[in-house]
Amino acid sequence: MAWISGVGMVRINRHYQKGLRDLAVEAASQALRDAGVDGIDYVVVASSSSYRQVGQLDLASYTSSYLGLRGARSLAVEAGEASGLAGLLTAYSLVASGAAETVLLVGVDKLTEYNSGEAYDMIEGLYDVEGEGFYNIGHAGVAGLLMRLYMHEYGVDRLTMSYWPAVMHANAKQNPYAMLRFAVTPEKVASAMPLADPVTLLDSYPLGDGAAAVVVTRRPGQVRIVGVETATGLPSPAHRDDPLYLESVAEAVSRLGLSREDLEGIDVMEIHDSFTITAYMILETLGLSDKGRAAKDLAEGKYTVEGDGPVMNPSGGLKARGHPIGATGVYQLAEVTMYLRGDFPGVKTNGARRGMVISMNAMGSSAYTALLQAE
Amino acid sequence: MSIARHWRRRHNLYRLIGTRCRSCGRTFYPQAQRCIYCGSSDVEQARIDGEARLLSYSIVYSVTDEARYEAPVILGLVEVGGVKLITEITDASPGELEVGMRLEPVLRKVSIHGESGLIYYAVKFRPAMGGDGSGED
Repeated sequence: MAWISGVGMVRINRHYQKGLRDLAVEAASQALRDAGVDGIDYVVVASSSSYRQVGQLDLASYTSSYLGLRGARSLAVEAGEASGLAGLLTAYSLVASGAAETVLLVGVDKLTEYNSGEAYDMIEGLYDVEGEGFYNIGHAGVAGLLMRLYMHEYGVDRLTMSYWPAVMHANAKQNPYAMLRFAVTPEKVASAMPLADPVTLLDSYPLGDGAAAVVVTRRPGQVRIVGVETATGLPSPAHRDDPLYLESVAEAVSRLGLSREDLEGIDVMEIHDSFTITAYMILETLGLSDKGRAAKDLAEGKYTVEGDGPVMNPSGGLKARGHPIGATGVYQLAEVTMYLRGDFPGVKTNGARRGMVISMNAMGSSAYTALLQAE
Repeated sequence: MSIARHWRRRHNLYRLIGTRCRSCGRTFYPQAQRCIYCGSSDVEQARIDGEARLLSYSIVYSVTDEARYEAPVILGLVEVGGVKLITEITDASPGELEVGMRLEPVLRKVSIHGESGLIYYAVKFRPAMGGDGSGED
């Protein structure tokens, strides 16, 4: 059994004034204060792009040292965009096995140390570099292929697709930790600059720096970790019979022992909406929306606080809260913990008892999920 | 991408060599020592060829610095002889593309290595040139 006893987040932004270490220490100090703990057995650092952008190896021990945790056991975890949840799996395993009583998990990444071309070059590496990654896929090309496939297969028009970013921006506007705190209309999303047509700039996440931290402990508290699971997927969506179905996500969720009815009973989720199409693929893979229906369901109000179904991404999601690659999963965990405690300073999810995080890399090369419960 | 990596993969990239699994019967791209579907090591190299069709495409404007002279790039999800792969589409303007259209393979430039100026080539696909799409007149 394990609980999350403290959270910390730095607002995602272009932090030119702050280095990777500054961001990590800021978020971790908040989490330690929030948890009120004195002893940390392990420090787990989740990071991905920082190895390219900052060039620091053995990141975990340097982070621990500058947190003042001299002598702590520290290790780093990298799983691309899913690094944060891979870090949770590590922390949870250490606590559940009895190897540690309390673990500090810090997710940190910087994407703005160089021009955006450098960041996009790095982000291409989330895909299989010996497969489609050899071609000029950009950071959004594969999303573009899948979005057109979806629209063609299910007859969904560009404007109907555009509700996800509009809802995410509306949520992020209330989230003090979000990078993009402004509203956009579906019309604006559809007509924005194309990145990888039909994907526009407003279907994609912004490049930002960030750090978030959670304290995972064996001591009972307000928010219990019911389970953490993961599954590897095929290397490319082209390898799947249905490229729009995320087998790794389905497998990870099924390993938690959850049926579709169980998922419908979850109050709030933070899902991996790296692109508009990714969000719809996740909702349909989970069976919460029928195939081809997720965009329409959302346009009709489902998944919002007022609508049916679990509330999706009160934070604003990767789309508008932001997506500092390896840190994102830890933001999702910190947010869901706050929804269940009732102290999230943004969109209110009153009385939420069960919350879930869905994270993955690229278009499902791996998937991770965590189920949390208010005690 | 490094020059060494490109050199290692040259046959794979120039002739579109993938993997066929003798155990489960599936064929996939790229080359692998074990089957990504069933895990078997009873695999052989397989030329990916046959009728090619465009399943989906994207016009990619946001590319890396190494490919900026190629932008916009047309990326395609292509089915070749029953094998799906992600590749580039060439010799076509975006307006000519239609989901379901027949394609044929061609060797083309993909990008230029930044420091050395070495040109990287690989198989891309273009709209089939008339006829029945088999490449024979």
